[in-house]
Amino acid sequence: MAKESFFKPFYSVLVLAFVCSFLVSLASVGLRPLQESNRAMERKKNILLAAGLLHGNASDKDIDTLFAQVEPRVIDLATGAFVPPEIMDPKTFDQLASTNDPQLSHPLAKDEDIAGLRRLEKYSLVYLIKDKGKLKEIVLPIRGKGLWSTMYGYVAIDSDLRTIDGIAFYEHGETPGLGGEIENPAWEAGWQGKKIYDDEGKVAIKVAKGASKAKAKAASYEVDGLSGATLTGNGVQRLFHFWFDDQGFKPFLERLRSENGQEEGENG
Amino acid sequence: MAETTTRELLLRPIFHRNPIALLVLGICSALAVTGKMDTAFVMSVCVTVVVACSSFVISLVRHHIPSSVRIGIQIMVIATMVILVDQILKAFLFDLSKQLSIYVGLIITNCIVMGRAEGFAMNNPPKASFIDGLGNGLGYGFILMTVAFIRELFGSGSLFGIEILKLTSNGGWYVRNGLLLLPASAFFLIALLIWLMRTVDPEQQEND
Amino acid sequence: MKLLEKLFDRAAPHFRPGGRLHRWFPLFEATDSFLLGSGERAATAPHVRDAMDLKRIMISVIVALLPCVIMAIWNTGYQANTALAALGLPCPGGWRGHLLAAVGCNPDSLVSNLCHGALYFVPIYLTSVLVGGLWECIFNLVRGHEMSEAFLVTSLLFALILPPTIPLWQVAIGISFGVIFAKEVFGGVGMNFMNPALAARAFIFFAYPGQMSGDQVWTAVDGVSSATALSTLATGAPGHALSSLNISWWQAFIGTIPGSMGETSTLACLIGAAALLVVGIASWRVMLGMLLGGIGCSLLFYMIGSDVNPMFSVPPHWHLVLGGFAFGLVFMATDPVTAPHTFTGRWIYGVLIGALAILIRVANPGFPEGVMLAILLGNVFAPLLDYFVEQANIKRRMLRHG
Repeated sequence: MAKESFFKPFYSVLVLAFVCSFLVSLASVGLRPLQESNRAMERKKNILLAAGLLHGNASDKDIDTLFAQVEPRVIDLATGAFVPPEIMDPKTFDQLASTNDPQLSHPLAKDEDIAGLRRLEKYSLVYLIKDKGKLKEIVLPIRGKGLWSTMYGYVAIDSDLRTIDGIAFYEHGETPGLGGEIENPAWEAGWQGKKIYDDEGKVAIKVAKGASKAKAKAASYEVDGLSGATLTGNGVQRLFHFWFDDQGFKPFLERLRSENGQEEGENG
Repeated sequence: MAETTTRELLLRPIFHRNPIALLVLGICSALAVTGKMDTAFVMSVCVTVVVACSSFVISLVRHHIPSSVRIGIQIMVIATMVILVDQILKAFLFDLSKQLSIYVGLIITNCIVMGRAEGFAMNNPPKASFIDGLGNGLGYGFILMTVAFIRELFGSGSLFGIEILKLTSNGGWYVRNGLLLLPASAFFLIALLIWLMRTVDPEQQEND
Repeated sequence: MKLLEKLFDRAAPHFRPGGRLHRWFPLFEATDSFLLGSGERAATAPHVRDAMDLKRIMISVIVALLPCVIMAIWNTGYQANTALAALGLPCPGGWRGHLLAAVGCNPDSLVSNLCHGALYFVPIYLTSVLVGGLWECIFNLVRGHEMSEAFLVTSLLFALILPPTIPLWQVAIGISFGVIFAKEVFGGVGMNFMNPALAARAFIFFAYPGQMSGDQVWTAVDGVSSATALSTLATGAPGHALSSLNISWWQAFIGTIPGSMGETSTLACLIGAAALLVVGIASWRVMLGMLLGGIGCSLLFYMIGSDVNPMFSVPPHWHLVLGGFAFGLVFMATDPVTAPHTFTGRWIYGVLIGALAILIRVANPGFPEGVMLAILLGNVFAPLLDYFVEQANIKRRMLRHG
């Protein structure tokens, strides 16, 4: 090897750094549209899965066609009213990021924070699924603490606004094989047809400890637990109780119900 | 190791000088991504590509690398490769890149890559370095795939996501072994593999 | 007896080096010394006169375990019979029902309880002994080691820390893992740094949690759910968890509660502890250390209190009689091979295990019981503790004499 001059290290590092950063930025800029469309596709897929509209392996094109009947909207969680798209565009609103924004979220007191969220956003996305202009299903984003981690999912509610059409958890860090089974479609299918609210309008949905033994009427509020994962099941139950009570989607669902009563409200 | 043939360069790291089993490098990702065959496969391919390409590039410019900053330059080359691979995965294999999460990014810190760059590519021509990198990547992949085969088959009852043993949780007969779903189980399996390989090839045993 | 001796004497040359059956020497030696006692004599100095050898130690441990075994058999039957009586069923189904028809299933009958319990305990124990012994044989034959009674203790301990409903194939897999991974890979008897019975239990605990935890596994009647006291406490009301228990402290002490078969009775463990201490096998330092560690840690939690975690409010004297604390303290932590060998090391080791066991019970939401994990962790630390104690000794002596 030739004797090294004083400047050689600087010069070779500079050249290399330039070449490397050029390559990296090229890849990052060039591939970004693809990556973003992947992320969007993933979200659409999960929403459709929860709604029970997607079966088996669907291509991106199928997902796009199916998603055409889904209308994303932003709502104000406290009042339950829709926020017009001109003020908040559902296409660009990032709900999870908004929980870190003091303008768009508020801290939860310990005793009301049963789902372990710490901060709750002011606005939430909802996805209305319509069939020939009539509301068929609503898909709502939910999340909450399980045994080890925060679980993220979607739940689809039928047009009667109290029956579950399906759920899909898409991100969590629960024990694989035990609590991790919340993403097992076989277990998620057990939620179909269960009722969230009882006749008085109270949140009644329960996750049993082990297989559900409830009979008759009680059975319509109770879901089989995951064997060996009581604590994850409790977490799922708590997050339902949080998101379907006053802090969560209850104002929105009640408002929707009263509007529906008046035969096609403003959103018909 | 004066004169080594291409064949030897390629095949020796798979069994006789396996980077995981003999040198016990790259254990971290071997624990993390071996729960399923497909993640293990993609990870193996990624590491193989990164080792081979970075060894090739470093060997290509080895006469221009001042020894005072050689480690920094090696890391820069490796990091660039890893970021490229990560970006490509995110764009074209999104599902798998989500499951591999940070472990693709962590290839930068995988000792195998750095070890081959510093230990081989700095002193050998590009072609040999490329082949050596390829061989080491394959050796890494061989262990990963073996571990993932056992973990997925007996932990999830499937291979590459295709059901082989029907699990009791899906109404079948096979009671899954939950330990194999946990990353720690890869420790036992790698230990067993090392035991097996050193019994077959006693030259690998260390004298104490 | 004479005849037998002659027979063995005549057969011996075949098994000695050079003999036709040399390969099978370990098996021959085991049978010979089991039936007739060891023929080995120390030929050169130094001669140590001691009645205690490995064989005696192992047999003493087994004797000390007998109260726990009897209690395990009785309580397993008692729990099952009580559950059956509560359901109003006369007898369980399956082959056990046929065998039990003669004695019936009456929770008040000693014989019925013992028979019913034995029908669960004996198959588990036999599986554990046979499979454990088989592995021991294979490794000893390959390596030319002599057989040791240690595997009898391991397989008995293992059977005692299992729930009665465990499927036998899981017992077999568990003991295989324990014997191979915790003992044989490190060189066999005396070389292991982890307790093989506990390692075996930890293996099936993580591999088959459905059969090792939850509410369904502790009573040997189909579909009857009976939570262990600890898991009941963990789901109780914060602040006064004890009110959710419907057992008294004395019940927990005597052991008429659901749980792993041999672990429920603190009383039986205490009898065993007395036996081990009198014979001088178990270290009282480890026992006392673990007791103090457990009491200290639970007292700390008790005094801090918590309005979310019910386990904080469980007082120390309850912690000691619930779960596997007493059993682990007497039989597992004191295992002479896996515990430290220095006196100071043993104190630290005991305190560490006691405190960790309570810490896992109280602070970790995932595991209601922490004794098993605490002892395994203690095992791992034992050589390190010894090392530090030795280094400290060397340093002190250097200062004094150097």
